[in-house]
Amino acid sequence: MGKIIAVHSYKGGTGKTLLSVNLAATFAKLGKKVCLFDLDFRAPSLFAILKVDEAECWLNDYLNGACDINKVIVDLSSRIPGNGKFFAALANPATEAIRDMSAKDRKWEMHALGRLLALRNTLLNDKEFDYLVFDTSPGLQYSSINAIVTADFVVVATTGDRSDVDGTRRMLKELYNLFEKKTGLVINKVLDPTSKSRKDEMDKRVKNVYQVPMLGLVPCFCEILRAEGNLIFVQDKPNHPFTKILDEMARKIDANEVN
Amino acid sequence: MTREEILGKKPLHLLEKIKENLERLNEKMEVMIELQKHGHKDSQPLPDASLDVMTLLSMPDHLRKTAMTICRCGRATAEEVSQQTSRARAVESAYLNQLVIMGYLRKERKGRKAYFYAERDSQG
Repeated sequence: MGKIIAVHSYKGGTGKTLLSVNLAATFAKLGKKVCLFDLDFRAPSLFAILKVDEAECWLNDYLNGACDINKVIVDLSSRIPGNGKFFAALANPATEAIRDMSAKDRKWEMHALGRLLALRNTLLNDKEFDYLVFDTSPGLQYSSINAIVTADFVVVATTGDRSDVDGTRRMLKELYNLFEKKTGLVINKVLDPTSKSRKDEMDKRVKNVYQVPMLGLVPCFCEILRAEGNLIFVQDKPNHPFTKILDEMARKIDANEVN
Repeated sequence: MTREEILGKKPLHLLEKIKENLERLNEKMEVMIELQKHGHKDSQPLPDASLDVMTLLSMPDHLRKTAMTICRCGRATAEEVSQQTSRARAVESAYLNQLVIMGYLRKERKGRKAYFYAERDSQG
């Protein structure tokens, strides 16, 4: 049976989308059948990164109960090397759709949770997907908590920013723990990660502050900034250190090594 | 049906009815015990008692586990929930009934089995 992975963070700008896209692409590269979901309905971005202009239906429509999930997922396997399958379910980027999603009430969010939970049957069981990767919106919002509740594993993206460290620590204790979720921490945009003192500092922080397993340490790569969201790094730059880090993360998740 | 057959079936039917009533009584007792154990304040329903994620977050830990299991399963008996949570069936039965009283879950009887579910019309 496949797994649902949610990529979440306390603050915005921690690299969730970069991690989600590249983690999903890495799984596909390993021969897995993957679907990447854009659950950031307030700031959809996957349509632009994956360069998909049109979709028969958006993820918004599925959550609204207006269509089947099969009409939402777009097959992008031809863009990924190897035998893997890569699909995407995109959020509607139109301003009207963003406004509509922001105005949903508690009852609707409860139905949306039911629709997300149903993906376990429709995609993991029936369509035999190996991984569903949820790119979420940051912080404590309905859409992101729905994604966390649905997920089997949460990749928590964080940076060295003081407010992010504190917020992430609280979220680990007061959100993921309450829902008994398995988590793996990714510290992103780390400056000078090869120096021993920096590494020791990060290890100490993970052990004392976060108290959860570390999934990966991602240095601040200028090439990623320069790419301006135009590249799927693990696909376009197979020998880049970032690709190697993502390979290791995917391997750890696949082998259930994050405990 | 002969007179003997009717007479033979009646006590059995009565016994089944008594057993069913005892089971219901037992469920009610379990709820009362749990309410006393955790205090009545946990059981006050919200004005709009929907089982959404924010409600799940604000629930006491012992009820959240049960409610989460129903969210995942969609519809389940106390026995099925207890298999998922590794807690005793009687404990889950009490928590489920408590969630029904709080207005978060609905309960439906089918024969001798009681099914619990969150009122949500779309599960697929």
